Amino acid sequence: MLRLLALVLALALPAQAATLYLYNWNNYISDRTIARFEARCACRVVQDYYSDNEEMLAKLAAGASGYDLIVPTGNAVEALLRSKQLRPLDKARLPHFGNLKAEFLNGFFDPGNRYSVPYAYTVTLLGYNMEKLQALGLPADTWALVFEPRYLAKLKGRVTVLDSQRELMAAALRYLGHSANDSDEKHWKAARDLILRAKPYWAAFNASSYIKELTVGNIWVAHGYSNDMFQARADAAAAGRPFRIGYAIPREGAVLALDSLVLHNTGRQPDLAHRFMDFMLEGENSAELSNLIGSGNPNRAAMAYIRPEIADNPAVFPDGANMGRLEMLRDLDRRQRRVLNRIWTEIKLR
Amino acid sequence: MSRTEDRLSRWAVTAPPTLFLLAFFLVPALIVVLASFQYPGEFGGLAPLADPGDGSEHGLTLENYRFYFSDFLFTEILLRSFLVAAASTLICLVLAYPVAWLIARSPKQHRDLLVLLVILPFASNFLIRVYAWMIILGPQAGLAQAVNGLLGAFGLAPVSLLFSPFAVLVGMVYVHLPFMILPLYTNLEKHDPVLLDAAQDLGANAWQRFWRVTWPLSLPGVFSGSALVFIPVLGMFAIPDILGGTRDMLIGNLIKDQFLGVRDWPFGATLSIVLTLCVLGLAGLAAWAGKGGRHG
Repeated sequence: MLRLLALVLALALPAQAATLYLYNWNNYISDRTIARFEARCACRVVQDYYSDNEEMLAKLAAGASGYDLIVPTGNAVEALLRSKQLRPLDKARLPHFGNLKAEFLNGFFDPGNRYSVPYAYTVTLLGYNMEKLQALGLPADTWALVFEPRYLAKLKGRVTVLDSQRELMAAALRYLGHSANDSDEKHWKAARDLILRAKPYWAAFNASSYIKELTVGNIWVAHGYSNDMFQARADAAAAGRPFRIGYAIPREGAVLALDSLVLHNTGRQPDLAHRFMDFMLEGENSAELSNLIGSGNPNRAAMAYIRPEIADNPAVFPDGANMGRLEMLRDLDRRQRRVLNRIWTEIKLR
Repeated sequence: MSRTEDRLSRWAVTAPPTLFLLAFFLVPALIVVLASFQYPGEFGGLAPLADPGDGSEHGLTLENYRFYFSDFLFTEILLRSFLVAAASTLICLVLAYPVAWLIARSPKQHRDLLVLLVILPFASNFLIRVYAWMIILGPQAGLAQAVNGLLGAFGLAPVSLLFSPFAVLVGMVYVHLPFMILPLYTNLEKHDPVLLDAAQDLGANAWQRFWRVTWPLSLPGVFSGSALVFIPVLGMFAIPDILGGTRDMLIGNLIKDQFLGVRDWPFGATLSIVLTLCVLGLAGLAAWAGKGGRHG
């Protein structure tokens, strides 16, 4: 009986010692990284997952609490910050903060990085079936591929676009020569018309299965995230398909989504959370995620540990000029959201 | 004394279901009604009812309903959803009736097994079953190749089965078919075969026996099965999301978008209220028509 009690205690104690609650994207940290951190800190890391910033914000708005760390994208950091849900960072406890590349600091959502530590990024771009595009003689590095009927005529029923108001509008706005954050209703309507003209050629609005559709060969061009295209390329290669999946940033410019670690003010372990942030700032730990999912990495010290086929990919690590054409999405106010909402419903219905 | 006891025991019987309905239907419904008259919060959720003192929006408004009626767009999506729900219900009925009838007429010792087979798909996750249809309807699969081979033989352009209204309808019917079979079966099983014998003795042919005896008797099953299919189809968003193409937004998708996509809870609540009122109106209409039919 005593021995049983001791066993129960032994099992229960480390669980009580320290548990870090991380609210993260699906598959957005390597299991090995987690295991190393748990060993170093003699603690447990428990993860909850979301697949969309809005989903995460909705759950927090509905009262979810107790998360020490969240990994929101820039505009969601801003939303959390302005609704006073974040705890300021103690930079003294982040000795590796200097590893971050300057171009990923001082984002519009958090000037001076008082609340957020850049973690990883994706680029919203076009993934494509390299063999098909070559055979059809189509360019890969322009939004015209998904918006221009003269190209789409050769791709009818083989194109998917993201089922996301902001992302699709951003692509259309960039193609029309506007900022992805343009909120002029006239420009939105021009973007709507561009989308409606192209829509008959598209197979679907798709946010969930385009990786598979690209890999299988059903879809030849997909509007989506660079991480997903990395996955599709790896899957197609692993399955021995007779084609390869490529991805490129359209030359008109695209959306960059920088995800940052932030401290939620309902978290009970701010000390441990700081240790986790600093741990993730070490190059080797940070690189592990890029090697796992092909994500962009804002950490200079990580570059040496990232596999060359990823580190040398210009769609994920663009050079200066292309980097300058990437934009982060800003939040819209609620009136703008409604205007866009109506335009989007119209796009979906027609 | 006995009257008090009577009242007490009656209360004891009716209180639990009443409380249940209050807690799990009326209160949530009222919360949704209230939300539909509030302003959206800037960062999701709802703006406060009381003045927060910083000049931001608060209190009640008709703005959400005004936004709904400012454009026929939203009603159009609602109408389309009703159309899809009606079509799914009708197809389910046509497919389920013979199945239910055959199960009801099969030897007693087999019936439980057959009913179990109808329920069996529920053992696997609903989303997995819908994803399976992506493979079945995909362009590489035999079905699409056969259809397009046939179209090609007539010189017609190939079509995509997946990502189409057709795929959405297939998904809706497939997922909801058991909900139609089961109530029909429970109804049909109770029919006394003697009635059909009597009808035959009186000279009714097979069609007349069905149309004048079996069908009228089975109407309660038809109604409950139809309700069990129609209402969930009306609110469904996962199937159009997965199997639909570029024109398959239904009211369920629109409502889901308001909460999980565009941070506009009050408008999502407004859409839910409009949908609920339409369903209640339809149910009332059906009840009224049923009553009128009996009297006439």
